[in-house]
Amino acid sequence: MQWLDALVQGILLGGMYAQYALGMALMFGVMKIVNVSHGDLVILLSLVGISLASSFGLGPFTVMAALVPLAVGLGWLLQKAVLNRVVGEDPLPSLIATFGLSLALQNLMLQIWSANSRSLPGGGIESRSIQVGGIHIGLLPVIVLVFAVALTWGLDLMLKRTRFGRALRAAASDVEAASMTGINPRAVYAAATAIAVGILGFAAVFQSLRSTVAPADGGAQLIYAFEAVIIGGMGSVWGAFLGAMVLGVAQAIGFRIDPGFGVLAGHIVFLLVLATRPQGLFGRA
Amino acid sequence: MTMVSMMPPQVRIRRQTASGRIALALFVLAVIGLAAMPWWAKTGTIRMVLELCCYVAVAQMWNMLAGYAGLVSVGQQAFMGASGYALFVLAQTFGVNPFLAVFLSLLVPLVLAVPCYLLLHRLDGPYFAIGTWVVAEVFRLVASNLPLVNAGAGMSLSVMKDYSAFQRNIAMSLFCALLVLVSIGGSYWFLRSRFGLALIAMRDNPVAAASQGVNVRRLRFMIYVAAAVGCGLVGAVYFMAQLRINPPSAFDPMWSNIAIFIVMVGGIASIEGVLIGTLIYFIADRWFGEYGASYFVVLGVMTVLVALYARTGIWGMIAARWDAPWFPIRRHLVLERDKP
Repeated sequence: MQWLDALVQGILLGGMYAQYALGMALMFGVMKIVNVSHGDLVILLSLVGISLASSFGLGPFTVMAALVPLAVGLGWLLQKAVLNRVVGEDPLPSLIATFGLSLALQNLMLQIWSANSRSLPGGGIESRSIQVGGIHIGLLPVIVLVFAVALTWGLDLMLKRTRFGRALRAAASDVEAASMTGINPRAVYAAATAIAVGILGFAAVFQSLRSTVAPADGGAQLIYAFEAVIIGGMGSVWGAFLGAMVLGVAQAIGFRIDPGFGVLAGHIVFLLVLATRPQGLFGRA
Repeated sequence: MTMVSMMPPQVRIRRQTASGRIALALFVLAVIGLAAMPWWAKTGTIRMVLELCCYVAVAQMWNMLAGYAGLVSVGQQAFMGASGYALFVLAQTFGVNPFLAVFLSLLVPLVLAVPCYLLLHRLDGPYFAIGTWVVAEVFRLVASNLPLVNAGAGMSLSVMKDYSAFQRNIAMSLFCALLVLVSIGGSYWFLRSRFGLALIAMRDNPVAAASQGVNVRRLRFMIYVAAAVGCGLVGAVYFMAQLRINPPSAFDPMWSNIAIFIVMVGGIASIEGVLIGTLIYFIADRWFGEYGASYFVVLGVMTVLVALYARTGIWGMIAARWDAPWFPIRRHLVLERDKP
């Protein structure tokens, strides 16, 4: 029963990680870029959300309604101001630029919000739970998972069915051929990053509801997103989603074995996947 | 007359320049000066210079990885911490002479780097970088849970009390000289060797280099392991001077920030850039370090600006204007006139 509980809690935790991983998978798929400040953006949005909630007395879903458009704008700006200048064959410039951005953002947040941990008051939603067959299931983690499924499903549908999704996939597989057919890769890239960071707007609200956030936490979120993408297998958004589930379960089981072992268990599963199935558990070879 | 034209042209390969000779002489003087520090510097100065030498060595290791081998790492602190811990365990727990233990502890990064590379090289481009960070995190978490290294509480190097302050100063000064000699001198020698030629070819275009017979995979592997050992030496020396180690300090990602800042601002893929960058970082750290967070905001923004607008860094701008390399690694073919 204890292990079944760990499995359930792990899947729910995976819902959180999936929301980080989707944007990273999308950006890498389209531009072959990894945004090192991915995690710091989650924290930045969380802290903005917490400040909004406390100064205007907003509920968590009102904060979300404000944060998501803000995140979309932030992503668009990030692409226009920074990433469009460094996208290309060589991975070094984009890594260095976003690495510098991460350092600057982290310390800027430290100055504005101090090193204290904060969280978003959820009006009771964060502590409510239901009991199913002896296992306590938190209401909030279920909402997080539902959002994660909806976001993954929506993103997948958008990529497969819409005109914009086709343009995105075309730019991902061959930029030059795509531009010949009238696609503006810069515009497509800006939209992709806007969506990727926009998803972080949802993640930021849930992260600050579930636990506390502090300016230095971004690195860990980046690593979880990365591990989920690699475990799942590059190339599909559902891969990232399933990778996040595997990571969440690995961490939850690790925590049951020893509280100091939880995060490490996730890393070990990541390294095992890399050793035995580098294309990812659900990736095509 | 046809004989003359059939003869291959008389050429000489010129590999050293006047500026290079001057710089080499200064470099030798600097290494001697570092080794002789106990006789001209106070303990505080030696400690400061030691820190400076650590920056030079870590930055140069990162430069070899990112600038030449195309391997961008943000996790070299993994190997610094690993050998730092190895030193503490050998010297403190097993009573090995600490100065000997510095060298023995290099075996740890050497052995660990091999499986790390075999796993990480499967990740392409930018994912490799994040992978190195995960490895450093794994090392940190393992150290935090390992009773052998006193888990999260960390260790102290109290055996250093057996040596007088002067003896310790001599050791630190010799290690300073060694760090600079190995990182800068070693890289210079390596870049001038046949491997260096292959490495530069690989930096410019890995596919073309492979077609010319360069074993790109083996060369990358060699550089990764060498950089791990180089960072290990820095870690062992640095934590020996610190006398204390714990998981957050041993595997501090700040080292990656520093190395990236130094190399990018100074000028990537050049030894000169590392020296310039280190000097800038060191001065900035002394002057503005007290401003804490806002200082790092400026450092981060500068790194972004260099990546966006000045990818060759300061040395790149200097080299474009004046052709006077300090560490020339190019080969010039000089046509010799027939002497009567």
